Amino acid sequence: MLVHRRTKRGKLAITFVATAALAISALPAHAVNAYKVDGVSATTITLGITSPLTGAAAPGYNKVPYAMQAYFNYVNDNGGVNGRKIKLIIKDDAYNPVLAKSVTNDLVLQSKVFALVGSLGTAENEATTRFINDHNVPRLFINTGYSGFADATKYPTTYTVLPSYVMEAKIMGQYIKDNFAGKSVAIIYQDDDFGADALKGFAVAGTKFIAKIPYASGSQADPTVVGKWISGLAQAKPDVTIMFGVSSATAAALGGAYKAGFKTQWILGSVGGDGTTIATVAGPTAVGLLYGAIGASFLPAPTDTSDPYIAQFQAINTKYNAGASFDNNVLQGMNTAMLTVEALRAAGTNLTRASLLKAIAKSGSTFASAGFAPLGYSASSHVGYNGYWFGSYGPTGAIKPIGGTYTLYTTDSGSGAVTQTVSKRPAMPAKGLPNN
Amino acid sequence: MLNRRLTPLSRAGILAFIGFVLLILSRFVGELRNYQGAQVAVYVIAISSITLLTGYSGQISLGHGAVMAIGGYGAALSFSLWNFPFELAILFGAAVGTLSGFILGVAAARLSGPYLAGTTLALAVGLPTIADQFKVLGGEQGLSFDIGDAPTWVRKIGGADFTQYKWFFWICIIVALLSLWAITNLLHSNYGRNWRAARNNAVAASLAGINVARGKVLAFTVSSALASLAGALFGLLLGIVTPTAFPLSLSFAIVTGAVLAGVSNLAGSIVGAVVLVAIPEVSGALATHLGGSQKVTANLPGLVTSLLLILVVLFMPNGLRIKKFKGKK
Repeated sequence: MLVHRRTKRGKLAITFVATAALAISALPAHAVNAYKVDGVSATTITLGITSPLTGAAAPGYNKVPYAMQAYFNYVNDNGGVNGRKIKLIIKDDAYNPVLAKSVTNDLVLQSKVFALVGSLGTAENEATTRFINDHNVPRLFINTGYSGFADATKYPTTYTVLPSYVMEAKIMGQYIKDNFAGKSVAIIYQDDDFGADALKGFAVAGTKFIAKIPYASGSQADPTVVGKWISGLAQAKPDVTIMFGVSSATAAALGGAYKAGFKTQWILGSVGGDGTTIATVAGPTAVGLLYGAIGASFLPAPTDTSDPYIAQFQAINTKYNAGASFDNNVLQGMNTAMLTVEALRAAGTNLTRASLLKAIAKSGSTFASAGFAPLGYSASSHVGYNGYWFGSYGPTGAIKPIGGTYTLYTTDSGSGAVTQTVSKRPAMPAKGLPNN
Repeated sequence: MLNRRLTPLSRAGILAFIGFVLLILSRFVGELRNYQGAQVAVYVIAISSITLLTGYSGQISLGHGAVMAIGGYGAALSFSLWNFPFELAILFGAAVGTLSGFILGVAAARLSGPYLAGTTLALAVGLPTIADQFKVLGGEQGLSFDIGDAPTWVRKIGGADFTQYKWFFWICIIVALLSLWAITNLLHSNYGRNWRAARNNAVAASLAGINVARGKVLAFTVSSALASLAGALFGLLLGIVTPTAFPLSLSFAIVTGAVLAGVSNLAGSIVGAVVLVAIPEVSGALATHLGGSQKVTANLPGLVTSLLLILVVLFMPNGLRIKKFKGKK
């Protein structure tokens, strides 16, 4: 390498410039907000979301924020919320907590967002918790099923929307008890908190496994790992096999089993059961492998155009989200956006962060949404949906409710019982525009 | 700062003055700038670890993100599991990183050029994911490293609205300046001269009685100490340590920072660090200005970094520094 002999003055100048650069970086970011409440003006409400738009976790998930934006634009074109238009600032965190924290800082301190909505990822949300709590920023409808976020004391401004993985596993366990009594069961699961949450739920449900196959997140890309799953299953010969992982792992397991000629009744966890995402990560032919498998969801099937919410959201998607195929990710995004609009409406014209949080606690459980499971929001609970229905996959990867009707199982993340109900959800407001 | 004629004491004086100015400045700026300032300080330490290793000892590491992970995990583990006070936890993280650096350094001394780069790269890819495999390391959820607010006596000095981010800024700036002081002194000692001699011509250096292999191991160890210290502070800034906090891109980022700084230029590490922190903000503003599609916006920081790197290597191979003054010689 080069060594430069520099003069004393040159070195002093470098030191000076370097210090000045650091000092300039510390200058105020921008002028003080003219309004009393961050992110709210007479005409706009600014919201923020962090989500993976690039990197390994992006396929599928990167559609969520744009679906939300599409729905907000639709609402804006129809008068907005109490006269204010919603602006959504989307930030990429590449599914990395470091970036999540830094872009959340930008959103709150620089862009001065009023609230965060739909931010994705367990570790990503965890990394920003302290900051969010300190600044009392509402963090609504986060996209993670980790049961820990239900703790309203630890996360006072956070509201979850997805049923937790513990709930999902408990419900799945009950479903197996009801429909596959006496059959042998095996499970493939992601060996981290995601899988640990699931095992917790299955333990509460009393599900006994003849084979448990853990895998490290990411190892599903290795064919020898997948080969071991299938040989493990072939040896145990389970009647029913639960796949509790992400879409790429589901695709690998179904593909491996098909190649090896191994047959079992697959039950897929909701995270790894979206046909369109499987087609994105494993190719369009992979969806055929889903045929006959059983899956769980709390939203209607995205292909079910007889559902008023689906029909409306599809229409919005066509007009405001050009080029995006309508799938579970888009559905989840639009549904979250709809809940957000209802929460903002419920908080009234005199919008503050406190009034928003209070409004969800007070009337959040009555919000209209596409979800078949009830919303559990109250003064003491920040937990959203708490149930699932089961469906079977057709040859095109579309899921349809078993028996033709949405039979719903609900429960909690603790030791509460699993109950079976017929879903009753609030009717969709006219044109999908909240009127609460 | 690097002037050989300066004594360690006068260097300490200059750095103390810079620190004093920055700490005063922190009172007048917003939280975001304080956080970014703390990030800059952490990057300064990380980049200077590369400057020392590559610029002065001639060894290439693409795996310093992994060494940062060791420091981060060491600190978080001792903080959350054994209830160490955070100052001790940071030192503990650095100590674990130093030890690992020594072991790595022994292997590294036998490798050079692309072989060393490849080995360290493998480390950066593999090491952080190991945390997924051990319950004690917290799995994907990671380990909490939330040190809370500043103690009362600091808040008395710092003023009424002494937020956590200001506290972070203070900690990181002080540690960064202490590190710079220590490295500068080291580089101007026998060790620094021996490293440079061995880098420029290993055969001539050993003929002159310098133990080249030992020097390389020592350089790798010291560099790892700095990187793991930066990793521990990184964890502190995040409040949490997870495998995804130390991705491969982090290793590349600090090497990029070092190249932008001019890889044998310690003072330049500050410029490199400022650039690294500024890139996302600048490219964000650029994207808003250009009004490009969403995919462009998401990928713009990567593009800006790569372009900057290519331009610097082509046109300013000694880094983003001002032209030499035509001083009297």
